Formats: sequence, structure tokens, C-alpha cells
Amino acid sequence: MDSDSIANASVPASKDSSKEFVKKKRGNNRLAKLKQCKMDARREQWLSQVKNKGSKEESNGIVGCVSFSSTLSAICGRENRSLGSREVRSRGDEKEGGLGVHTANSESRVDNSLVSGVSGNQESRKSWSQSSSSSSSTSTSTSTSTSTSTSTSTSTSTSTSSSSWCCSRSASEEEEEDDVDGDDGCVDDWEAVADALTADNKQHQPNSEPLVEMDPALVDAAPSELVNKEAALGASEMEHCGEVKGSVENNRAWRLDDAFRPPCLPTLSKQYSFPLNSERCCAHGAVTWPCNGIISQPSPCPICCEDLDPTDYSFLPCLCGFRLCLFCYKRILEADGRCPGCRKYYDPQNVEMDANGGPPQYRLARSFSMSTRF
Amino acid sequence: MQASRARLFKEYKEVQREKAVDPEIQLICDDSNIFKWTALIKGPSETPYEGGVFQLALVVPEQYPLQPPQVRFLTKIFHPNVHFKSGEICLDILKTAWSPAWTLQSVCRAIIALMAHPEPDSPLNCDSGNLLRSGDIRGYQSMARMYTRLAAMPKKG
Repeated sequence: MDSDSIANASVPASKDSSKEFVKKKRGNNRLAKLKQCKMDARREQWLSQVKNKGSKEESNGIVGCVSFSSTLSAICGRENRSLGSREVRSRGDEKEGGLGVHTANSESRVDNSLVSGVSGNQESRKSWSQSSSSSSSTSTSTSTSTSTSTSTSTSTSTSTSSSSWCCSRSASEEEEEDDVDGDDGCVDDWEAVADALTADNKQHQPNSEPLVEMDPALVDAAPSELVNKEAALGASEMEHCGEVKGSVENNRAWRLDDAFRPPCLPTLSKQYSFPLNSERCCAHGAVTWPCNGIISQPSPCPICCEDLDPTDYSFLPCLCGFRLCLFCYKRILEADGRCPGCRKYYDPQNVEMDANGGPPQYRLARSFSMSTRF
Repeated sequence: MQASRARLFKEYKEVQREKAVDPEIQLICDDSNIFKWTALIKGPSETPYEGGVFQLALVVPEQYPLQPPQVRFLTKIFHPNVHFKSGEICLDILKTAWSPAWTLQSVCRAIIALMAHPEPDSPLNCDSGNLLRSGDIRGYQSMARMYTRLAAMPKKG
């Protein structure tokens, strides 16, 4: 909260002063207006974000909203994010050290390192993806900037470290945008940029948690490229933190995809073709509406709206395919005992239960597609 | 108790999110009590209820969704399956055929469907039912239209 209030207080003042300075310095009205517009948009986004933390869409949207002139480069950056993250990861040791040193948070230090990092970037700008020196300086500077937020936040060690990683990623993206914007070598409003960066840290923090907590099996089952990429990033987070958070992640193929895999290679669904195909066939049309997407994404029980756990996933009480959690099933059995999906009485003979704890999704998907094929 | 509340919150969110999806139905939750809802439904077209806006009161029991919500018309309506005075609705999904998979939104949809397809053989409004059962479609329609104009449309002038 300290950094929060500081940023809050310093944003308008520094913004105004820097704005005037910029106007005086070069009478380039258009650029100044653009920059002001950008800062305003960023500040508004951030303010609204503070009001309602945890809205994911907004923090996603900010990237597209802020980068007026540099949309192309931002897109480029998103495409090559995996590349950049590889470089950063290769320097994980330096970064860890930086984190340790800079956890004593001082605004000036953040600013200094930011300026130096970015000025280092200026020399090699427009070629950020190829020269590792620029990216390394970026990574160090941003890691310091995020360290303030790390020290102030009060969550567990896992989530903080991972979120700081996520923040540094997003922050470097921001900087690249700034690079393109302030291309004429104007470093006068870096204070404002620093503020915006801390603001961005706040914004991107909620974004990181769902990534980490996503069930790996479910992520795996979703065949889309986007989820794939997100999952890959999540895996790199794990790796960066040096934690083995569930050995399942480390066995996944997409962890390798993260850094070295070009986007043109075939997706995961082809590697695990059989179970995924059957799941997809099941999810995409064969089953009636209550079951849509249950396998491909974490979904709540349609009755009580609690998330289904793996036991519930492996539980199929009725042939119609209507899934629900065990609690609701029991409650319904005690009441009128009819399936909510088809209104037929539950038949204990038809209850499918995967008791041996094998891979439940796999088996269920098969039985699903078999039964629906007739 | 907790389950019903969670479920109603979910439905509330769903309603907020899909406001524009179903323009026939407007579901409003009571400001202080999530177990009390009000719905505004438009009379279906090509029925005597066309052009009217009917208000429904939904009271959700604590055992929801295992038990159906209690729904009644607050706006007067001349319909064989709606009690003329109390607004009570005779609809199987609100009684025996209820399923926990239904939502308040789908209940409103079912009521709109009932308005379009009255069931005169189990009437709550005997006058209306008798008109339909005796084949006096025109009589039923003009009565229903009159009450729609009287009760469910904005007053003229």
C-alpha cells in the first residue's frame, strides 16, 4: 500500500510537469498530445483497476488500448514474448540477485534503474528481439521496479514470486512500447513512466494468479493455441521460481514449447491425438447442453455453482450425461431422486464411478463418445 | 441455504451479463434480498398479449434450486392458466416437473411460452378456459386483449 499511495500522489503532478516540459522542449504538438493522451488513458485504466481489482479483461485490454502508435510493435512483442522470456530466464541468476538486493524499496532507485535500463535500451532500440544486452538490461530494471510491489504485497511466497515474474514480463512489454513512442530520445518523463509501471504492476498481479492455479490437466485438454501459450508462460513462471509445484507440469510437453517452439509447429492436440480428439468431439456437439465445455474448462456444478473437483468429474450419475457434484446428487437422491437433465429417476445401475483413481477424463471421454455415437 | 445463495448470485451475474440477449425478459433482483426477484416480460407477438409488459414476482425458497421458485403475475392477465385475482400460475415446471437445472431466466421463458400456448384443460381462470374449450377463440382473444390494454400497457393521455 505504500507504493500505492506514493504512486497515487505523484502521478498527476509528475505528469503535468513532464507534459509542460515536453511541450516547451520541442514544439511538437502532435507527439506531446499523443503522449499525454496515452498517459491519461493509462492513469484512468489504473484508477479504475484500483477500484475493482481482479478484473482480468481490463488488464488485458490495457495493452491494446495504450499503444496507439505502436500497436504493431506491441503485437510483435506479444508474438515474440516467448523469445524474450527465454533470454530473461537464461539470466535468471542475475535477476534473482537483483531481486534480493532491491527488495529494500526506494522510489529513487526504481527510477534510476528504470532510466538506465531504458537508456540502455535506446542504444539498441528497434532491435530488441535480437540483442541480448538490451533485453537483459530491461529485465533487470523491470525486476527492480516490480520488487517494490513484491515487498509490499502480502500473499504467500509462491504467488508473490510468480506474480513478480509476470509483472516483469508485462513491464518489459510496456517499456518496449515506450521505446517506440519516445523514439526521439526524450527521457524527461520517466518518472511518469515509472508511476505507470507501478500501476501496471498492480494491474497485472490479478492476472497472474489464475494462470498459476489453473488445473494443468484441464489446460492441457483445451486445444486452443492461446491457452497453450498461456500455459507455456505459466510453466516458465514455475521454472523461473525454481519450484516444483506439482510434478505434473514438468512432464508436460508444452513446457518445452515455451521457449524453443516456433508457433508454426503442430499444437498439443496432435501429440495426444486420441484422448483429446474424443474429448473434443464430446465437448463440441455430441452431448446435450449441460455438459458443454465441462471437460475442456473448469466448470461449476450447474446446481450449486461450486466448482467440480476431480471426483465430480469422474462421476456420471445418469446416461443423459448431466453432470453434477456429489453433494447435489445426494441432496437430489434424498429429495425426488430425478436427474435434473432429463427428469428421469436416477438408476443406481447406471452410475459410473471411476473408483480406482486412474485418468478419469480419458475414460469418461471415451465412454461419452461411444455412447453418443449410437 | 448457502448453495441457494451462491446459485442465485451466479444467476444474477448471468442476468447482468446477458441483458441484451433476451430483450423479452428483464429480471431484477430485490435490492436487499436476493431471494426476491421481479421480472418484466413482454407479451409474445401474435397473441392477445402483444404489446403488453407483464410484471412477475418471484420468491425463491431456501432449498432452491431443488425446489422451484414461486412465481405469480402482479399484472392482471386474462389467461386460462393464470388465476385472475391472485396471479397464481398453473405451470407444471413450477410444480411437479421442476428441475434444478432450470433457472429464473428459463422460468420466465417458460411463462412466455405458456402465454403463447394456453392450456385450457387445466384452468385456473375458468372463464377464459371455458371460452377456449367451447371454441370461442375470438371471445377469448378480445377479452385477453382488453385486459392487456387495461392492465399491461401504459395509460394513454
